[in-house]
Amino acid sequence: MSVLQAQGLGKIYSSKGNVAYKALEDIELKLEAGEFVGVMGPSGSGKTTLLNLLSTIDRPTSGQIEINGVNPSKLTDKKLALFRRRELGFVFQDFNLLDTLSIKENIILPLVLEGIAPKKILEKLHPLAELLQITPILDKRTYEVSGGQKQRAAIARAIIHQPSLVLADELTGNLDSKSAKDVMDSLKDMNERFKATVLMVTHDPFSASYCQRIVFIKDGKFFSEIRKGTNRQAFFQQILDALSVLGGNFDDVPFARA
Amino acid sequence: MTFRSLALSNIRGNWRSYSAFFLSSVFSVMIFYIYAAFLYHPDVESGFIMAASKIRKGMEFCEYIIVIFSFLFVLYSNSAFLKTRQQEFGLFSLFGMTRAQLRKLVLYENAAIAFLAVAVGIGLGTLFSKLFFMALGVLLKLEAPIPFALPLKAIGITAGGFFALFMIISMWTALRIGRTEIVDLLKAARKPKGQLVFSRWLVFVAALCLVAAYGMAFFMNSNTFVVFSLPILITVVVGTYFLFTQLSILVLTFIQKKSAVYYKRTNMIVFAQLGYKIRDNARILFIVSILSAVVMTALGTVYILQIGSKQSLLENSPFTLAYSENGLNTHEVIDQAELKRIVTEDGFKITKEAKAVSMVISRYAIQWDDEEYREFDSDAVIISATDYNKLAEMTGQPSILPEYGKLTLALQSYGEIYHHHGYVKGDINGHNKEFEISSVIDAKVMNSMQNNYYTFVMDDFSYMKLVSGIPEDQWNVMYGFELSNWEKSAPTAEKLKNLVPEELQPQIDFRRGSDLVDMNETVSLTLFIGMFISLLFFIASGSMLYFKLYTELQEDQAQFKALSRIGMTKNEMRKIVVTQVGIVFFVPVVVGILHALFAMKALDNMMNSSNWIYSFVVIGIYIAMQTIYFLVACSSYMKTMLRGATA
Repeated sequence: MSVLQAQGLGKIYSSKGNVAYKALEDIELKLEAGEFVGVMGPSGSGKTTLLNLLSTIDRPTSGQIEINGVNPSKLTDKKLALFRRRELGFVFQDFNLLDTLSIKENIILPLVLEGIAPKKILEKLHPLAELLQITPILDKRTYEVSGGQKQRAAIARAIIHQPSLVLADELTGNLDSKSAKDVMDSLKDMNERFKATVLMVTHDPFSASYCQRIVFIKDGKFFSEIRKGTNRQAFFQQILDALSVLGGNFDDVPFARA
Repeated sequence: MTFRSLALSNIRGNWRSYSAFFLSSVFSVMIFYIYAAFLYHPDVESGFIMAASKIRKGMEFCEYIIVIFSFLFVLYSNSAFLKTRQQEFGLFSLFGMTRAQLRKLVLYENAAIAFLAVAVGIGLGTLFSKLFFMALGVLLKLEAPIPFALPLKAIGITAGGFFALFMIISMWTALRIGRTEIVDLLKAARKPKGQLVFSRWLVFVAALCLVAAYGMAFFMNSNTFVVFSLPILITVVVGTYFLFTQLSILVLTFIQKKSAVYYKRTNMIVFAQLGYKIRDNARILFIVSILSAVVMTALGTVYILQIGSKQSLLENSPFTLAYSENGLNTHEVIDQAELKRIVTEDGFKITKEAKAVSMVISRYAIQWDDEEYREFDSDAVIISATDYNKLAEMTGQPSILPEYGKLTLALQSYGEIYHHHGYVKGDINGHNKEFEISSVIDAKVMNSMQNNYYTFVMDDFSYMKLVSGIPEDQWNVMYGFELSNWEKSAPTAEKLKNLVPEELQPQIDFRRGSDLVDMNETVSLTLFIGMFISLLFFIASGSMLYFKLYTELQEDQAQFKALSRIGMTKNEMRKIVVTQVGIVFFVPVVVGILHALFAMKALDNMMNSSNWIYSFVVIGIYIAMQTIYFLVACSSYMKTMLRGATA
């Protein structure tokens, strides 16, 4: 069963007095349930635009998207927000955890907003926190924990309500290599154990090597696609080869923030 | 780009945070100028407008309040601005701006703002001063309107005074900037929120102070006023401060532990953010609470005093028109028929008409059980129980039954009776007599005329015996007339008063109508002048809240953007914003109302009345105005929030 289906997806930015700019053109993308797919491309290739369209926070100028059988562009603003809340999970580069809430409260936020009973919420939280090894920091505040822990908390938040699709945007961009590995291991765990469907946008070949399949885009157009064999190390090499063919600038991630 | 143009563009860039402060400053300059324009008006200075002397002192007092208040307000706002701009200053320093240049920049900015505020304030003041003069003219009952004027002295004092005030404060604040490391300045905006902590001790102090203050206010009366007023003031201020810095955190921590409430949809975000909002704004909330309490208490006091004094007018003069004369039907003071004719002619109806005969005791002396023997120069009267009860019924007071052969003293004593038993002696119709006083009551059934301040009541039988020996022309007959619509009776009473012979004037009391007019005039003048000060306090306190709201705008915007991504609907965001802004705007008002209500209760105790309920009129107006302010602030805040969330 396909969770995500995008057909002929295009986005043109135009404003008065400026030349129209084609950010995306004719993108086809299909994700089966339980898949772990990466999207790679050089700076300005349209990765973020694609993710914004799939996140339903931006609307395509052409083509259509179907997530779990629903076309989000046909929903009203309110229904769209509820759709995001129930069907999608987000992991961002800068975590987007609320610093007024504790780690635990940040994780359970999607369930709390849905009005689920506190007891049931805790039942869901504990196994997940255990798996992600963040149980000891649940009552801490966001500024008291490391970047890797923050990102694992963000993964927990993205997954706790069992969304149809988890969207991850450069989730290791702000992390050191050790934390990045932990976070990617966690995300892979979630994908395997909970059968979570994950779409990840990244520029980092190491993070990308965790995917089962990678879609390369360049200048807003589909470029190529590679699939993982059995070995992650081999896949990593494959990715590097593909990138050298792709060319372009990959230094589009800003400095890590404290 | 010159230094000056940099300063100007900084103001333009920071206009949102400056705007509320600027408007409040303009408003205080305007009020100050309008008052000054009156005080230094050529006609007022030359004494041409006589009535002006009535309000001069009050207005001067208000001018001082405005200056003191503006000083504190500008001082606070200035340092708050600089705090929010630390990052910007850090950036300037990073690019090599020296500390002296930074100070110069701040001074330039403040000078520009001050100049603008003073110019706009005086401009608006000039525009509205005529309106103010017109209103004053009406309230002072001036025949000729106060002409428009531009007193140079007023302009000079306002412009010079306020400009100096602004500049002194900005020099002071400018001296304090630039002592921090650049790194710290740059990081200032991104400081983590930290833990919400409270100290059990200080919570205890807060609760204790508030309970003590309210307790003292509740039981304070005119005797204990001197002892209690200062402790009440101190405990209220201390208690309110810790209420916001400590007690509020305790309450929120408690809510956060109640998972049934806390984990309910948007509640979690509301309460979690609220803790920080209250902690970060505790000082503002405290100041605004105190200001609200002051405004409401002051206006409430004036209003309640007005109501109270109308009641005491009725108590002091049970009848609109009253007089007493010697001898039955002598008409030596005024002809009854003539009085009735004039009253009816002027469109009044006589609703009650009283006539009571009394005997005069002259050169009387009283020996109370627990006091020295006292002789009085004035006269007192004795009336029969029947007559007394008739008057008592008309004026809505309880009837009495004096003991046989003994006297009951009816004396207006404002709730406190000091003596209960004694003896009175004096001359009645030339014969010295002595009576026993068996009881004293707090009552006044007839207006005070020449001789009835002490009114003794005697049982009918003894009274008949007493009267039988006295000729009719020695009787003292009291007349009372109650008019419908008495509030407008002042001119009629004046007309009647002119008919009474000069030497008999002490025997009449026609004052009630004109007393009311005088009182209303004083009250409306006080309210009118006080209203502007209250409005100033109100606008300033609102602007502080508004400013605080906007300093956190960026942070909040980022948060809402994150929330919107993970699927928070607009309605939910609206709910969160309305609750948060609402709490920040209304909690200080509620605290202020509570303070004001206890103050009103204390006032009631002192005046021996129960009018505090009337202060709800003032409170209601205050709430309505704050609601308008809230709606404006909330909707503009919401717009930026939603725009930020979808961007």
